[in-house]
Amino acid sequence: MTLGRGEGNPPSAFDFGKYLDGLFGYALVLSRNRAEAEDLVQETCLRALGAMERLHSESNVKGWLFTILRNIWLNELRRRRTTPEMVELDSDAKGVIDPPDTSKDPHAIYVGELVREQVRAAIGQLPVEFREVIMLREYEELSYQEIAAVLDCPPGTVMSRLARARSKLRELLPRLATTPPSQEKDEGRNGEAVA
Amino acid sequence: MANAPGSEEFPPRRNNDNNGRTICDDFAVGILRYLDNDLKGNELDEFRSHLPSCADCRKHLEEEEALSRLLHQTRPLYSAPAALRARVSATSIQHSVPIPVAESPYEGVFQFLREHLTRPGKRLLSLRVLVPAALILAVCLALVPDTVRQVQAASYVQSAAEEHRKYVGGHLHLGLQSSSPQVVTAWFAGKVPFDFRLPVAESAPQNEPKYKLTGAALVTYKGSPAALVTYEGQAGQISLLVASAKSAAVAGGDEIQFGKLTFHYLTNAGYRVITWSNHGLAYALVSSVAGPAKASCLVCHQNMADRDKYQMHP
Repeated sequence: MTLGRGEGNPPSAFDFGKYLDGLFGYALVLSRNRAEAEDLVQETCLRALGAMERLHSESNVKGWLFTILRNIWLNELRRRRTTPEMVELDSDAKGVIDPPDTSKDPHAIYVGELVREQVRAAIGQLPVEFREVIMLREYEELSYQEIAAVLDCPPGTVMSRLARARSKLRELLPRLATTPPSQEKDEGRNGEAVA
Repeated sequence: MANAPGSEEFPPRRNNDNNGRTICDDFAVGILRYLDNDLKGNELDEFRSHLPSCADCRKHLEEEEALSRLLHQTRPLYSAPAALRARVSATSIQHSVPIPVAESPYEGVFQFLREHLTRPGKRLLSLRVLVPAALILAVCLALVPDTVRQVQAASYVQSAAEEHRKYVGGHLHLGLQSSSPQVVTAWFAGKVPFDFRLPVAESAPQNEPKYKLTGAALVTYKGSPAALVTYEGQAGQISLLVASAKSAAVAGGDEIQFGKLTFHYLTNAGYRVITWSNHGLAYALVSSVAGPAKASCLVCHQNMADRDKYQMHP
């Protein structure tokens, strides 16, 4: 017979699982150091647990977690008063286990991982403010308003940075980022596409 | 082509403005919004109408679309290591268990022990006195918590019986008179510091209910608001006291396990009392009806599928 729940009922554990990949990726592009990224994520979760009662609704959890992580990173930078160590992302990515995609054949998985590594390397060459917006928008699908809240800047600035970040990425990934759709086009004498 | 005054359509109907911006400059800005499906109505029409006349902008759009496809197919870009996942999960579980904050009645004793065992020069004398004391304390530690709980449970039973006596004697002021479990549930909302809900009937009553819900009263237990629900039937009157398990304990009497619950059958002041705790709430069902005490459980179970377990059979 269930007659309600008492106020003394222990709360269930908060499930960070669905946010961990994104938090780790964001921490990695910020810190460019795997061990540091893991510490950032763990500290973020710890701080979030301590401040859970301040969360107003389920809808802003993701942006809130990324904001916490970024603030921890900024505080760490201030504490050290040094610029982040420039480490090749490829070396950081060693040991990172990507989720196996059992729906694809081994060749497709191998090719996919090559592409992913090239994209990681390209993003790693961007300035940190570009890396942030690319991760938050293209991978975490936060809205411009949510990204603006995380970065503490106007939404217009977010859009501007994203446009410039994408432009830079297109330069760094010329072959991969210019694959046309499967539909063939007619080309004019000068090689220009004809509508 | 000049823009109409006050117009804010996209893209502006001009080749360039005073700042030298062109339609293509504004088109570049709009691409992101277009890819986000954020352009609507006239803005979308203007955007699409520019494409056939500008190869550069078409190429720009195609490149942006290709980049979006590339980035999205590499999701997730990174995966959190399994060891990190395990650590975070352990941290989350650890922090979900409330740390007991109840004051220990033995803190003063422990402080006394610490002081005497660490004070130089007096250590030997202290050990002669304190070791036997520590042994006695260890025995007490094993017994006292249970004793304290028994005392608390007895206090709860006594309070429930007292409220029932007032109800039977007509001295209890019912804050609500209603036969509807939903109305009673709604009435308690915000009045008690816990989520209180009376069960509703699982099925249509086959016979006339043996006990009828009559009303509710807001009472206090150990200074905290508690819920009292009253019932009447041909066999007698029944009351149900519900309080937070933070202030009320249940223990003692004849313990009967039923499913995951432990019911405690007691008597107090001539009344039959059944207590149990569930989901952080302590319940005390008090009755003066004849027959098995569990028959009073019919106040809630008489309209449930398991009603037969509580029926009094001749």
